[in-house]
Amino acid sequence: MRSLGLSALSLALTAVVIGNAFYQKKQFYPSVVYITKSNPSMAVIYIQFFVIVLMLGKLLRKIFLGTLRPAEFEHLMERFWYALTETCLAFTVFRDDFNPRFVALFTVLLFLKSFHWLAEERVDYMERSPVIGWLFHVRVASLLSVLGLLDYLMIVHAYESVALKGPTVQLVFGFEYAILITMVANTTVKYVLHAAELRADSPWENKAVFLLYTELVIGLIRVILYVLFVIIMAKIYALPMFVFRPMFFTMRNFKKALNDVIMSRRAIRNMNTLYPDATPEELAMSDNICIICREDMVSNSKKLPCGHIFHTTCLRSWFQRQQTCPTCRLNILRTPTNVTSSPPPPRPEGVNAPNINPNAGIQVPLPGFNMNNNNNNNNINIGQENPFTNLFAQNFGQAQAGATGANAGGNGTAGQVPPHVPPFVLPPFPFMAPYAIPPPPMPPNLNTLTDEELRALEGNERRHVEERLKLLQNVQLLLDAANSLMNQYSLVTARLPPIPAAATSSTVVPPSTAVSGAASTSSSTPTANSVSPEPSTSQAAFDPAAAKSATPKKDIITPVKSAQIDTNKPQSTLPEIEKDVRIEDLGSEEHADTVKHSQHNSTPTPSTSRQTSEVDPDDTELSEIRRRRLQKFQQQNDSVKTTTNE
Amino acid sequence: MAGSALRRLMAEYRQLTLNPPEGIVAGPISEDNFFEWEALIAGPEGTCFEGGVFPAKLVFPPDYPLSPPKMKFTCEMFHPNIFADGRVCISILHAPGDDPMGYELSAERWSPVQSVEKILLSVVSMLAEPNDESGANVDAAIMWRDNREEFNKIARRIVRKTLGLPS
Ligand SMILES: [Zn+2]
Ligand SMILES: [Zn+2]
Repeated sequence: MRSLGLSALSLALTAVVIGNAFYQKKQFYPSVVYITKSNPSMAVIYIQFFVIVLMLGKLLRKIFLGTLRPAEFEHLMERFWYALTETCLAFTVFRDDFNPRFVALFTVLLFLKSFHWLAEERVDYMERSPVIGWLFHVRVASLLSVLGLLDYLMIVHAYESVALKGPTVQLVFGFEYAILITMVANTTVKYVLHAAELRADSPWENKAVFLLYTELVIGLIRVILYVLFVIIMAKIYALPMFVFRPMFFTMRNFKKALNDVIMSRRAIRNMNTLYPDATPEELAMSDNICIICREDMVSNSKKLPCGHIFHTTCLRSWFQRQQTCPTCRLNILRTPTNVTSSPPPPRPEGVNAPNINPNAGIQVPLPGFNMNNNNNNNNINIGQENPFTNLFAQNFGQAQAGATGANAGGNGTAGQVPPHVPPFVLPPFPFMAPYAIPPPPMPPNLNTLTDEELRALEGNERRHVEERLKLLQNVQLLLDAANSLMNQYSLVTARLPPIPAAATSSTVVPPSTAVSGAASTSSSTPTANSVSPEPSTSQAAFDPAAAKSATPKKDIITPVKSAQIDTNKPQSTLPEIEKDVRIEDLGSEEHADTVKHSQHNSTPTPSTSRQTSEVDPDDTELSEIRRRRLQKFQQQNDSVKTTTNE
Repeated sequence: MAGSALRRLMAEYRQLTLNPPEGIVAGPISEDNFFEWEALIAGPEGTCFEGGVFPAKLVFPPDYPLSPPKMKFTCEMFHPNIFADGRVCISILHAPGDDPMGYELSAERWSPVQSVEKILLSVVSMLAEPNDESGANVDAAIMWRDNREEFNKIARRIVRKTLGLPS
């Protein structure tokens, strides 16, 4: 309304000025000369010119963009004022060229720039809105082509002018339009990528990588343009102060893009080499929702050393930012992927890489034998091949001690071991040789800790933390030992005549479940309960404790493992596994469902159908939900009001 | 098909609408932009904020859930962990590595495992139990610690204000 009044005012003023001129001179040319000679009249004409430009801008905006969103308008205004101040700075360099034509050219430049920014905003908006209609596509496509064409024409014009008359202010315009055309190119690529993704039926995984490289290439071109421009300008005129701010931002963006590309490449490389693909069995487990995108994992998923599974692409984009597990925050750079040496091996099947298994002969594939065994066998092989052999051997010795301890304790555990598991035998495999090494220390029996020992575990000072870490290291050692023990069992059972599959799988409960549960409860460290809950909890529960109870536990905890803790005797000589074991790493909670019967593999996941409907909600449903939401708030508000009034 | 950030936000919205947590209502301000949400948080019972309904705005980054959203109360607030302009300062809204206050545990920080629901529930518990070590609003933190009576008074005034009642 206000702008309408202003335009009417300026129109009236112009009419008065022109009318006055005609009234005085009666003829066309004298009137024109009269107006150009009179400063007040010229001022009015200038104002009229700007008003016309503004109105033209509004018209073009209506055609190409429709109504601007508040955020778009805000950003436009912000950038516009910066551009205006830079233009004023540029005027100081070209004082000699200052004339109406020059001002007009700068106005046109600012005018076109504004539309470039708006086009960029619009294309970015494509990612945010679920409702992109054909009108949007028509508008954006035509706007981008018009802008590209205009930029090209202006560059050609500037080039010809400079070639003809030598360096003038046209140099600046040529450069500005060159920068703008890179912007059009960037926006067009983004638009095409977004549009292609919208048309695709399935998530388009490599879009992020394409965007990254576009950003890099365009950034490089811009940096080169800016540097060239500054050099040329400094030689001919003076240092162009007015491009310093945009140049700084361009260089910063380029640096960021370069960094992103490097991080992305590293993440992709790690993804391809370090982490195994999740097997169909693992994906078929009940909680196969990727916590990064909250969608089902059907294929293309990776498993981290901590046992958490994610989509390959989701994990890749996360690793560009941080090298931690999104669920348990295990620092994957500090953690060797080899489970035998990694500090928290909550899931023994963390390594599933058959290609690094030189002793494939040891693996005894048995029908109905579940995959834990295979992986444990892999662990054994790795343990033998790498520098951790020594540690492994010690663990092995401990495993033996633990087992004998459990049996000697006479607490009935031996009787509960399923009968088809033979008593402890020493299989004549070559890797069993390190048995002769004396057993390493046992973690202290938690029930018989003296008050002093308990006090050492409390408090926040360094020695307290060290004490706690020591205890956790002991538990860790025990875990490895139990793991090795299970390998032995599995190997022994593998050599037995075939037995019913169901019975086998119940015997090979991985020891980690029981022991790691004990570890997380026994170490009452402050961080232990702040570990993020696992994916399944995200929708159901907020409280990690509640989440734990909500997680379906379908394991069979063999008492052998829990008994081992009780029979341990405290000793002091610890092999250094890894100095910086983080408490939250060890406390990370785990799915207890590592034992998975093969028949579960074919079970369809219940959330698939729901998921597809979530991805594509129709409009009526959405507005219905919004209506319900507002209604609920209304109710809440009303009830609160009444209670407060009382 | 929509982008992954948009799909996840739509999934979270659906989840929040189907199983709304107690005392929290949230959703996009406009259906054609899923990256700006409004949320209404009921003051937790048994606290000085009981009875209030506090409106807030959440703005999601284009790379959500890799980066956390920003949250800002759009009503007047007086709380140790809320800036004077309404911005909420809790660790779940900070990515690891950016720690404005230098005291937050990395385990409480933002990660894709978090969600809008968890943020809002954290805000509810923040309302119930302010962390007076955080200096988002130093005046409020000092008053919370030293002059609880006065703090409660201000909180009750804000509660009445959010309900449109005379204070
Ligand atoms: Zn995913
Ligand atoms: Zn993990």
